[in-house]
Amino acid sequence: MYSVEVQSINKIYETAFRKRRVQALNDFSIKVEKGSIFGLLGPNGAGKTTLVKILLGITFPTTGTATVLGHDISNYKLKSKVGYLPENHKFPPYLNGGDVIKYAASLSGYEPPNLEQKVDELLSLVKMLEWKNMKVKKYSKGMMQRLGLAQAMINDPELVILDEPTDGVDPIGRKEIRDVLIDLKNQGKTIFLNSHLLSEVELITDNVAILNKGNLVHQGNVQELTTSKEKFKIKFASELKEELKSENFNKYQIEQMEEDTVLFKLNDVEELNNLIDDLRKAQLFIVSIEPLKSSLEDMFISLIKNSDK
Amino acid sequence: MTTKNIYKIAYYTYREALSRKIFLTFFGISTFVLVVFGLIFLFSGIEDLISFTQVEAGERIDLIEKIVDVLKFSIAAPLYGVGLFLAIFAASSFIPNMLEKGSIDVLLSKPISRNQVIWGKFLGGLYIVLVNIAYLVIGIWFLIGLKFGNWDPSFLMVIPTVTFTFAVLYSLIILVGILTQSSILAMMLSYLIFMIFSPVLLGREEIAILIDNKFVEYLLDALYYLTPKTAELASITTDMATGDFSFDYMPFITSAAFMILSLGLSIFIFSKKDY
Ligand SMILES: Nc1ncnc2c1ncn2[C@@H]1O[C@H](COP(=O)(O)OP(=O)(O)OP(=O)(O)O)[C@@H](O)[C@H]1O
Ligand SMILES: [Mg+2]
Repeated sequence: MYSVEVQSINKIYETAFRKRRVQALNDFSIKVEKGSIFGLLGPNGAGKTTLVKILLGITFPTTGTATVLGHDISNYKLKSKVGYLPENHKFPPYLNGGDVIKYAASLSGYEPPNLEQKVDELLSLVKMLEWKNMKVKKYSKGMMQRLGLAQAMINDPELVILDEPTDGVDPIGRKEIRDVLIDLKNQGKTIFLNSHLLSEVELITDNVAILNKGNLVHQGNVQELTTSKEKFKIKFASELKEELKSENFNKYQIEQMEEDTVLFKLNDVEELNNLIDDLRKAQLFIVSIEPLKSSLEDMFISLIKNSDK
Repeated sequence: MTTKNIYKIAYYTYREALSRKIFLTFFGISTFVLVVFGLIFLFSGIEDLISFTQVEAGERIDLIEKIVDVLKFSIAAPLYGVGLFLAIFAASSFIPNMLEKGSIDVLLSKPISRNQVIWGKFLGGLYIVLVNIAYLVIGIWFLIGLKFGNWDPSFLMVIPTVTFTFAVLYSLIILVGILTQSSILAMMLSYLIFMIFSPVLLGREEIAILIDNKFVEYLLDALYYLTPKTAELASITTDMATGDFSFDYMPFITSAAFMILSLGLSIFIFSKKDY
């Protein structure tokens, strides 16, 4: 079951006199599993915001189709089950924090009898309850962001789309937002996240898609993406000196060696097993074998560099 | 569902209008006018009013009717001019504010269709103008009724005619707002029609005689029938206020056609635009 399915979407922005043409999305397709946290990553201008705007009917695709919660995106009614935090969002300046949440609830068609209580619950969840009665035009950036997150959740959405939710939020606030998102996921909601902050994304997302200049560069599980298939750290019981210099180990590429730990660069898992056999034959006592993890950021940078070539 | 959505947008347009001090100012001025008239009526006899309004001597019943007409005219005419001037000023920012980056994203991400948004903005703006005008007109009508026993309801027709004229100009404000996102431009264009185009085009026959060119004559005619006829609507308003219903319906019909066209075009363009 997918919450979002995008099929070969192209989006070309043309300026009025056709002097400039921007291909913001190029034959882009993704699927977002229901109940997961999905991260859409990419450098500035990659097309991330364009994609979420298309999903919400704020911008229209040039070609291609997409469904959200099983409905074609042209059906505006599906949005009653979606929450959205736009980047650089603005709310009517004459409203106060509590009014903004009610504004979002009302426009989403969400009118429970205990609305006031729900508003307070959400405001305290994002630590904004004490600012409830202050006009939003006096809010700081981080306060706007917290309020934006709260209004995106008021209609009890099945899908929450957040465009840079932690932008301008202090480190403690970011941790709080991450906890809120994990909590939403545990309630079975799907979260679609646009972000630059890869170290944060890495902490919470299940799947990511990496977008560069409108093209899908990579898609997959965060775990798989950050876990290298080629590099293994092997820890031995004692410090190694000469053992690995013998002919038997010439064929294996050693990247790094320190005391009792050796980092091997291998071609595949089969080679890893051969290595283990050889190590055991040489009577070396293995304590642990660990595939080397690279950070999402490292992977991101190398993927973007490759795709720019 | 549809009406509910339109109502919600209209409600927030109304709130936005209230937050802009201009409608409150208008409300304050109206209250002031009502109080002044109330006090004058309270402390002066009918004889004082006869000399005050400089109605020529005649039968007493006739005299009273004449005073009432002068009073009605002297409320309806400035109300039309000043009321619409302020209303245009206040309404011209509704659409550009809505379209601001960040605001429009929030709005369009809600389960409300784009044509519901336009209808809501339109009706919300109309509603607040209607309420403001009705307050003053009904108030004056009531005072005149109490003082002179004249309860002729034709004065109340000022409410729909002024609101209608606003609706026509507001449809233009919406269209220009959608097209250019500029409140200044929307406001200028409305004022241009309201204060220059319409009065000038009303006298197009005299101009045509002066210029004596068939092409110019046709051009003026075409412009006349295409643009809102606020100058005629003004005189229709004052005529109706004083009980004269012998006017031509053409200005209503062509202005209504203009309104429908502008709104239709606004909805069409808004529904296709990327934000
Ligand atoms: N309304 C528009 N008209 C013309 N071009 C646009 C418009 N909106 C976006 N673009 C262009 O489309 C491309 C993708 O923009 P988009 O906002 O989707 O990027 P992004 O990935 O969200 O970037 P960021 O990380 O900076 O938010 C950019 O080149 C941008 O200039
Ligand atoms: Mg963006």
